[in-house]
This record gives sequence, C-alpha cells and structure tokens, in this order.
Amino acid sequence: MIFDLELNSVGKVYDNGTPAVIDFNLSVRKGEFIAFLGPSGCGKTTTLRMIAGFEGISSGDMLIRGERMNDVPPQRRPTSMIFQNYALFPHMSVRRNVGYGLEVKGIARAEREAKVDRILATLGLEDIAERKPEKLSGGQRQRIALARGLVVEPDILLLDEPLGALDANLRKAIQNELKLLQKSLGVTFVFVTHAQSEALALSDRIVVMNQGRVEQVSPPHQLYTRPNTPFVAQFIGRNTVLSGEVAGSEGEDVVVTTGIGTLSGRANGALASKGRVNLVVPAEAIEVHAAGEGVLAGAKNRIDALIERSDVVGHIAHLTARLHDGRAVSLEAHVDKYRPGAFPAGTPVLLSWNPAEATVIPAG
Amino acid sequence: MNASGIKLGLGFYTALFIVFLYGPLVVLAILSFQTGPEGGPQFPIIEWSTYWYKHLFGLTPPSRIAPLPIEQALVRSLALAVMTMIVSTVLGVTAAQAFRRKFRGSGVVFYLIVLGMMVPGVLVGLGMALVANTLGIDRHWWGTAFVLHVVYTFPFAFLVMLAIFNRFDPSVEEAAWSLGVTPARTFRKITFPLIFPGVLSAMLFAFTLSYDEFSRTLFASGRDLTLPLAIYGTFSVEVHPNVFAFGVLTTLFSFALLGTYAVLMGLSVRRAKRVAIQEEA
Repeated sequence: MIFDLELNSVGKVYDNGTPAVIDFNLSVRKGEFIAFLGPSGCGKTTTLRMIAGFEGISSGDMLIRGERMNDVPPQRRPTSMIFQNYALFPHMSVRRNVGYGLEVKGIARAEREAKVDRILATLGLEDIAERKPEKLSGGQRQRIALARGLVVEPDILLLDEPLGALDANLRKAIQNELKLLQKSLGVTFVFVTHAQSEALALSDRIVVMNQGRVEQVSPPHQLYTRPNTPFVAQFIGRNTVLSGEVAGSEGEDVVVTTGIGTLSGRANGALASKGRVNLVVPAEAIEVHAAGEGVLAGAKNRIDALIERSDVVGHIAHLTARLHDGRAVSLEAHVDKYRPGAFPAGTPVLLSWNPAEATVIPAG
Repeated sequence: MNASGIKLGLGFYTALFIVFLYGPLVVLAILSFQTGPEGGPQFPIIEWSTYWYKHLFGLTPPSRIAPLPIEQALVRSLALAVMTMIVSTVLGVTAAQAFRRKFRGSGVVFYLIVLGMMVPGVLVGLGMALVANTLGIDRHWWGTAFVLHVVYTFPFAFLVMLAIFNRFDPSVEEAAWSLGVTPARTFRKITFPLIFPGVLSAMLFAFTLSYDEFSRTLFASGRDLTLPLAIYGTFSVEVHPNVFAFGVLTTLFSFALLGTYAVLMGLSVRRAKRVAIQEEA
C-alpha cells in the first residue's frame, strides 16, 4: 500500500547541536486528518516544516505517495501550507491571492478563473473577491488562506495552528467548516495545534509529541480513554495519575498497590507482571459518595478524601478532593449527578471508579 | 526641579536646537535676497531683490561678478549621485537579504561593511589618490570618486534594509514557495513589493549622501569638479550672495525630494500598517 505521507525515523538536529525531532515514525493514508499535538517546543511545528520543505531533514526519510522528498525544494513538493498568521500577499486582491499558485504553474486563464471561482464559492468568498486582504476580518482571511492553499490541489495540506489567531466562537465555527471541507475534498490534512480540544474534535488520529519524541499515535477517543504514557495521561483530559506496584490481576483488571491503598484498572497493551506502574484515572470516571455510606463497604477501588473546592462551570461540576497523602484529585461530572452544594468544601467523601475506566501504564 | 521647570528647560533646549539646526539656513536664505551686484554677503540688507537668482540663470546684464561655474559640476554631481544610488541600493538590498540567515563569518562581514561609513573621509580620499597614483590609474569623478561614494553609502543602504528585513514576516515567502513559486520569482513578486518603502529610504540615503559628499571626493575626483568642490572653489576667491541663492534652490530641491519620498512612504506605511493589523488579528 502506498501512503500519502510516510516519515521513517525522521530526525532534526539544529546547527547548534540541539535535537528538535527524534526518530519520528508515521504513515498517513490518503484522506486522513492527522493532528500533531503537544506543548510549545515539542517539535510539532518543526516536523510540519520538514514535511513542507522549509526545514532540512537531518536523518531518516520522508516520502509523499512513495516518492522520497528529503531533497526536493518546497516549491516542487505536492504540499501546501496554511500559516497561523495566514501570510496572505497584502499587495494582491483576494482573487489574485487565491489564483497566484495556478498562475505560476502556467495554467491557462480560463481554467484558472474557473478553478478560483469554484473554490471561492465553496468557501463563501465570492463577494469579497476583488478586495485587498488587509481590510477583511480574521475569519475571512483564514478562508482566503485555505482557498489559496487548496486551489493548487495539493496531495497534502499542512496547517500550522490555523485557528490559533481566531476568537473562541469563530474558532468553533471554522473548526466545523474545516472538518466538512476536508471530508468532502478527501485531501490529506496534517494539522499542528497545542489545543487538545481542536485535535480531539477534528482529527482521525492524533500524534502526541513531547520534547522531540512521539509519545502516542491514536484515534482521539482511544487517546483520551487509554493513554500510553504518563505524559499523555497528564497532557490529555484531566487525569489523576497514581504510582504504584503491580500486585496481581483480577480477571481483566490489574491490581496495583499504591501509597493510598490497593486499587485497580485496565492494562493498556502488554504489561510486565511485576514492577512499577502508573494508574491513570480520568476525572469524569471518579464517583463521589458521602463518607460512611455502607454501599461501598468491601469494594476495592475506593479511597477516602476531603472535598477542597467545588465549582460549577456551565453544566459541568468541577470538584477537587485532597487525599490523605496530600495529593489533589480532580473530578468532573454533569451537575445533575451532584446537585450544586451537595459537597461543600471540607466534606469527607469516598471516591471510587469502575476499573474498566482506569488505565494501568508502565511508570515513566 | 518641578514639572513646569522641566517643561521650561526642555522647551528652551528644543528652541536652541532648532536655532542651531535651521539658523544658518535662514540667514543664508535672507542674504540671498540682497540687492546686486553691489550688495555683499552681509547684513544689513540694503534693498530686497531677486537679483542673485536672476544672476544665477544669467538673466542679469553682465557685471564684474562672473556667473557661478557650476553648470557642469551640477550635472556631474547629479550623475554621480544617481550612479551611487543605484549601485549602493542594489548592494544594500542583496547584502541585507544575505544577512537574513546566519552564515560563517557574518559578524566580521557586517563590521567590514559598516566600516565604510565610519572611516574618516579625507583619509580615504587621500588613500585612494595614492593608490591610483601608484597603480597608474587616472582619477575621475566617475571612477575613483564613484568607488569611494559607493563604499561610503552602501553601509547606510545596508543598515536600512537590515532593519526592514528584521520586521519582515518570512512566512509570506514560505507561503509563496509552498504554492509552487520559485525563490527567484518570490523575491521579485512578493518580497520586493513589500520591502519597497525600505528600498526607497536606502535610495534617498545613498543619493543625498553622495550628492553633497566633499571630503572623499576632494582628492579622488581628479580634474573635473563635482558640485560641492565647485562651490568650495568659488569661496576661496570671493563670496557673493549668488552662492546663497543657489543654496536656497538646492535646499528647495531637497525638500521636494523629501516631499516625494514622504508621500510614497506614507502610502507604503499605510499598507504595512494594515499588514501588521492583519498579523495581530
């Protein structure tokens, strides 16, 4: 099978010797929407710029549709890039901006105009086609940049934090448009973001990066529910990470001895039968019970705690509970479940979760 | 010192500054309206007249005062300034473009370029004359002097362009490359229109610096004089207000040049501002 994009052990070392990207492996099918997610400085943008050809590749191979691209200059790669600041040509009209890529490819005027008209219509830009980009709003400029990048029919569209400069409402709207556009065109998208909500909402698969390395490549739901590494567990969602030792297993569940009791969760992939592990418990998996309720007597997955804060934001209740070892645990649930004021600060509680919703991963 | 005291002090300082900056020019302008041909280059004004302006263009009856011998010198100086402007600006733009990326020895090269505007002009002029004599090269305004003018004005053009590129957003160029535009075409069609205000400033610097350059030209220009040398030559005999009249006209010409520049710059800056807003939004 020929992939749209293949990165085989791709590495980048800056001139001063700092490694920026280490052993990056990824194969992307045609039409996939891939997100590179990670904190700033994790190497996600550098990787994107290597795919575009703006940065040289220090080691490994990069292939687009089976063809090695390492030494091909950016203007001859079948990619086009959308920038966070849009990078529109300020001295050209919207129409000229969008048509410029076709113009330099020597496409005949009639065909060019037809293509430009079509993409302008798709993105709802017909009315502003003759204006200069500087007078337009952020959302409009974002669409112009998309139109300009897509009209040249790239194999892969690269997007560098394209929604970062928009306000929250607009971001939501354009996010939806982007997803629909990508599905209808069937073009492979590689999208860089530091906002997990964007990555989770848009992509088919997410590549989580940290300090130049790929931590995990998974579909959004799996990434959210089954993190592979402590970094992903901390970075995605609001998880409580408890360290401990494997004590045995109970059916599908792994039993872990921790400083605050014997707890259990589901193993993610192969796990050594002994040794140090982390138990990852998502905030929304934890249930809160008033202390002393008899129902939980004898259940294994329970810990005593003291409610420290309780905030309701919209329809979600956020609780923070303090464990006996001083650790803070985040909990989250629909307000229906808690009734505002049910657990004021200082209330002693019992926390528990379904072992199937917690994940056991190797430590560090 | 209280606030009003500081205000007063600063006001006085500003007034003094303006007097020293424009005082000579104003005195020169007033004296250029001295009556002629008997009036001299000093106060009091015997009678207001435009005699010396007419004298400049040969519109007065012949008198004992010869017309300023500047016609050819003016043409030479303008030609030299235009040549210098073109070469220095091209060098300045390309050198600054090279400095957008760090390269081996870029620090040394930077100081070597900037040295051209810092070394004393008289010494360089004298040195050039000696070199030319040693090598048996004839000294000409379009040869030895031209080279010195370029060495002198190129650093100014270079520094202006360096500042312009410093604020230039390279992602616009990358966007063009990723659309399939070659780097050469990107520079011509995307980069150059955007840095044009800077190019204009560099041209203005090179032109004006060359146009009134004296010390470097003095020893290096050979037999044919440039305008500053010709004017200096008339001083050494006797000064008449016709030199002042010429000075006023040259100043007005400079103002016209600056005015044109300001208009062009204003248009470009308005565009650049919109680009800046575009980036922030």
